[in-house]
Amino acid sequence: MEQFIKKKIIQVKKGDQSAFSDVVAFYQDKIYQHCYRMLGNRHEAEDMAQEAFIRAFVNIDSFDENRKFSTWLYRIATNLTIDRMRKRKPDYHLDAEIKGTEGLDMYSQLASTERLPGEEVESRDLQRYIHHEISQLPSKYRSIIMLRYLEEFSLKEISEILDVPLGTVKTRIHRGREALRKRLRHV
Amino acid sequence: MSCNEKYIKRMHDYLDGDISAEDESLLRRHLEDCEDCQKHFHELNRTITLIRSAERMEAPVGFTENVMRKLPTEKKSVKYKR
Repeated sequence: MEQFIKKKIIQVKKGDQSAFSDVVAFYQDKIYQHCYRMLGNRHEAEDMAQEAFIRAFVNIDSFDENRKFSTWLYRIATNLTIDRMRKRKPDYHLDAEIKGTEGLDMYSQLASTERLPGEEVESRDLQRYIHHEISQLPSKYRSIIMLRYLEEFSLKEISEILDVPLGTVKTRIHRGREALRKRLRHV
Repeated sequence: MSCNEKYIKRMHDYLDGDISAEDESLLRRHLEDCEDCQKHFHELNRTITLIRSAERMEAPVGFTENVMRKLPTEKKSVKYKR
């Protein structure tokens, strides 16, 4: 798949805008989901995910196609969501919405999970609960836990995406896992 | 409890694939003897399985089309120049 994306990126760089729609279509669920998990709000997630693709397109010439496109794209998306969180009103806590009523509405509108393979966890309620527990983590831990276990990036790639030293990624992933262990041990 | 911290650190290093052979065998031997650490290690592994099973989401309908519509037009003109 990397090969397919690489080919499309080269076409986009040559000026074939339509090739970019294949790139968007391929990554749209992943990037939307990533923004959603960072922001906890569907509208903001959609805005930021769209913006991430637009920025990727506008800056495509600065992307070195010998590198992994997904790392670059996630970096753009992550920076946008972090900026967005900073711009929120001070009293607007990151997790406020999830705790409140709009959070409930949001859960009822999540997309179908039918494509999830029959893993150990089969109950949809449990999947939602886990999503919720992840969303309660401080963002610096949450982003790393998500990139590692939901997007399957290596620690080194995560360090590139977030532009933090590898040692910091390790410390944060340890703390994130411990925090979730405590939250999920009774499940 | 503080005796465990060293091993908890090793558990995390193990989970990150970032552990020396020596530390790994120390961890293994310790896990055979220490029930608390066994439980801790089991909980960590289970936590990872649970995280991986968190609910997945799809982008809203029409997402790609909306992005394509919003792309700046000056880039488009490159296509016509060719």
